[in-house]
Amino acid sequence: MQNVSEPAIAPERDATVKPAPARALVQLEGLKFRWPGSDDDVLDIPELQVREGERIFLRGASGSGKTTLLSLLGGVIQPREGSIRVMDTELSALGASGRDGFRADNIGFIFQMFNLIPYLSLVDNVTLSCRFSKARRQRVSARGASLTQEAERLLSHLRLDVAKLGRRPVTDLSVGQQQRVAVARALIGSPGLIIADEPTSALDTDARVAFIELLFQEVAASGSTLVFVSHDPALQDLFDRTVSLAEINRAYQPPES
Amino acid sequence: MSIYSLTLRSLLNRKTTALLTIFSIAVSVMLLLGVDNIRREAKAGFANTISGADLIVGARSGSVQLLLYSVFRIGNATNNISWHSYQEVAGMKRVKWTIPLSLGDSHRGFRVLGTNTDYFEHFRYGAKRELAFSDGGRFEDVYDAVLGAEVAEKLGYKLGQSVVISHGAGEVSFANHDDKPFKVVGILKKTGTPVDRTVHVSLEGIEAIHLGWDSGAPSGSISAEQARHADLQPKLITAFLVGLDSKLATFTLQRAINNYRGEPLLAILPGVALQELWSMMGVAEVALLAVSAFVVATGLIGMLTVIWSGLNERRREMAILRSVGAKPRHIFVLLMIEAGLMAVCGVLVGVAMLFLTLFAAQPALESYFGLFIGVDPLTVDNLAVLGGIILAGVLIGAAPAYRAYRYSLADGMTIRT
Repeated sequence: MQNVSEPAIAPERDATVKPAPARALVQLEGLKFRWPGSDDDVLDIPELQVREGERIFLRGASGSGKTTLLSLLGGVIQPREGSIRVMDTELSALGASGRDGFRADNIGFIFQMFNLIPYLSLVDNVTLSCRFSKARRQRVSARGASLTQEAERLLSHLRLDVAKLGRRPVTDLSVGQQQRVAVARALIGSPGLIIADEPTSALDTDARVAFIELLFQEVAASGSTLVFVSHDPALQDLFDRTVSLAEINRAYQPPES
Repeated sequence: MSIYSLTLRSLLNRKTTALLTIFSIAVSVMLLLGVDNIRREAKAGFANTISGADLIVGARSGSVQLLLYSVFRIGNATNNISWHSYQEVAGMKRVKWTIPLSLGDSHRGFRVLGTNTDYFEHFRYGAKRELAFSDGGRFEDVYDAVLGAEVAEKLGYKLGQSVVISHGAGEVSFANHDDKPFKVVGILKKTGTPVDRTVHVSLEGIEAIHLGWDSGAPSGSISAEQARHADLQPKLITAFLVGLDSKLATFTLQRAINNYRGEPLLAILPGVALQELWSMMGVAEVALLAVSAFVVATGLIGMLTVIWSGLNERRREMAILRSVGAKPRHIFVLLMIEAGLMAVCGVLVGVAMLFLTLFAAQPALESYFGLFIGVDPLTVDNLAVLGGIILAGVLIGAAPAYRAYRYSLADGMTIRT
């Protein structure tokens, strides 16, 4: 793959599947980032837009800067240049603490593996994301549920039997079960944006599709937008749209083969 | 659901290391407080060895030396004083009572004190407490002996038993006054002072066993019965205690005795001499406290090591917390609380262990070493020290907390394993 020289609009692959809603949930413009002490940008993205309710597949091989991009979206790091708007909030205009608060309120993360805190119970691992966000707690109570009830509801939707699994240490759960607990944690309190970073890479092929379908169902139920990052192109057909990070990131250096 | 409960659960998850850390802090706290308690008790016990006497009079030497041999039965007098001088001082104005003390012999390692019945009348220890008998009574006959509580207990002596006095003060003596055995007629109650380790006989008894002894060895043989009829008026005594009818006269009389023309005498105030002696021991006391303080520091450094070495494997946990919106300062606080919590638990467990140990060890210390260690409540100073230890624990926790803070800034949500 070559570096894309002209400013590329996020490429549309499956534009016919669903009419895209008008509002942009995530809007990146002229984004540039380099690590401190480095002379080279690792990210240079002229533009990327994710619309509200969209489920997008962000394809990126390792080294394509996806982890950096997710850290920028989460507000953990700041771009050198450019703008990151998530839910109409300009992240680079917020302070570090404000970005942490924004992430707590509006973004749910699911990681590749080891998503759970070993010393917390199944339910406490789910409600963990409400500890740092008043907004999420309020959204849960607006549904007329306690945090525990909501966690149990989500877990049972994700086919996890709290009565059976809840008493055991979470480290006893299978990888697939742990990933579903992570989904429940990301979704509790209905954050606007769910970011999943290779959540299926530790699962076997059969379980992947089932996991993604379950994820879609719950993301839709909570009205969230999904950014799903993976290097595995076999999954991309399940999504509304695919974006190749290698194509939109002008700083991408393809590995020499 | 707060960050405190996260800390608590995180610690519970690592309960073995957490408990060991708390235990090592607890042991160091116990040691520090224990040393302080024993120090205070020793000082109090020290000051309690003699009370009521206004002056101690002996041959001219140092005041600490006089105090040591007359009250603590440690060491020997360099010189004796004459009966005549004793009588002169005893007859001085303002003198209410005197107790003559004649030392130099022993019984199986315990010092023998020759005195008269004024000893049982006027001697006071602790808070002006009188001597009391647990069995029998005062000596009356020349060959009667009254034992201190510890002497009777250690040697298993009962009333009526006979006791042979050895010449000199050593544990093993080659010159025994075995021709003139003494009979136990009284056993004193425990006082927690050197009185417990003393065999008391009359001055006449001391005189009788030394009849015919010149320069420390028997030169002729005089039987016990013959001795009774000899002149048993002592010519020399070692020292004597003086009680006055007015405290105001103390300095006047002290000056009068120190300027006594008949022979060189030294009169000391027991309280002043005790203070002087204690200040000599102050160096050891400070050293002991310093060592304990360093042990506490070691305990806290142990905690630092444990938290620090656990940081790396907890980076994943921190990344997860960051991903759900924890700020780096939450991570900092989490670790600070962890250190503070362990320090607080260490201090509490240490205090509990101290009291349990003191209560448990008290009887053993008393029976094996004759040490009575009272259990004092914590002093204000102790509480300040404990507060200081907790504060130090929290401050020490700031180091790993800061490192975790840096980690969480650098790692962000990236899970490093």
